[in-house]
Amino acid sequence: MPHAEPVAAVPTDAALIAAWQGGDEQAAAELVRRHARALARFLASAGAPDGDLDDLVQETFIRAFRGVDRFRGQCRFRTWLLTIGGNVLKDAARRARRAKVVPLHEELRATDGDPHERAVAGEAEGRLLAGLGRLSRMQREVFLLRAQQGLAYEEIAAALGTSPGAARVHYHHAVKRLKEYLA
Amino acid sequence: MNEHELEKLAQRLGARAAEQLDVERTAQAVVTRLREAPRVSVVTRLWMQSAWLKVAATVVLLLGTGAVAKALWRPQALAPAGGEAAAAGLNDLSTDQLQQLLEVVDTPADGAAPVYPPDASLDDLTAPQLRELLRSLEG
Repeated sequence: MPHAEPVAAVPTDAALIAAWQGGDEQAAAELVRRHARALARFLASAGAPDGDLDDLVQETFIRAFRGVDRFRGQCRFRTWLLTIGGNVLKDAARRARRAKVVPLHEELRATDGDPHERAVAGEAEGRLLAGLGRLSRMQREVFLLRAQQGLAYEEIAAALGTSPGAARVHYHHAVKRLKEYLA
Repeated sequence: MNEHELEKLAQRLGARAAEQLDVERTAQAVVTRLREAPRVSVVTRLWMQSAWLKVAATVVLLLGTGAVAKALWRPQALAPAGGEAAAAGLNDLSTDQLQQLLEVVDTPADGAAPVYPPDASLDDLTAPQLRELLRSLEG
């Protein structure tokens, strides 16, 4: 009877985090490979300029790895990472505002934006992006975590330090305002 | 647009930008930056240590200043019988004056035992006991 080839177990995020804490750089690299695209989508949807996306993704991972001792498994690593990404984006926007690099619309990129980008992304996506820029940060992040990342309210609440009920309310406010904007 | 359509649209947002990300290059860049991180944290730690040293030195200075001020104030206010003698210093006192001082401090207000034998005269005290006596007079 032929022996089945042992299947290499895919390490969990928790195992990779523990390995990184033990000094394994490749564990950190693997976590980046796993979550970088989801993080990039979240940041781009939350208003990160395309040209800064790589830097913002890197900065988010650097902050996460340096502060990984504070991650207690209250939510998934990816969710925690996305909330750090939100903070990184906010800080970058503040710096840009101070340097007067971004002239328009609060902390987000100019939402009437790059014509090429809008042509590619489509009018509806461009308008949704603009609408997201009008939401409060909490509403925007709850909406993206729920609608884009597909997270449960409990998970969102744990990551953002709020209650599931409050997360639900933020989501519905966001949806209502986006519908009004896109109507 | 209903909620379902909105969610569908949200799921497409950022997809193109994310596809353009060179994940492997990003992973290597992050690892490289993390490797450089300890140098930054050592500098930060040193800065924090020096900051704490400054704080500690300030606290010690304040406490020292307070103790000196208290010591200067107390002999005049609390020891009228021996204040003059304490100010003059033990070496300038006559034997009678020292005997008087000894009687004053022989009955401590808090009931604590004297640091020298109760029936001792000044001549019986050793140099450390005399220094202790002077310290007690100075508060």
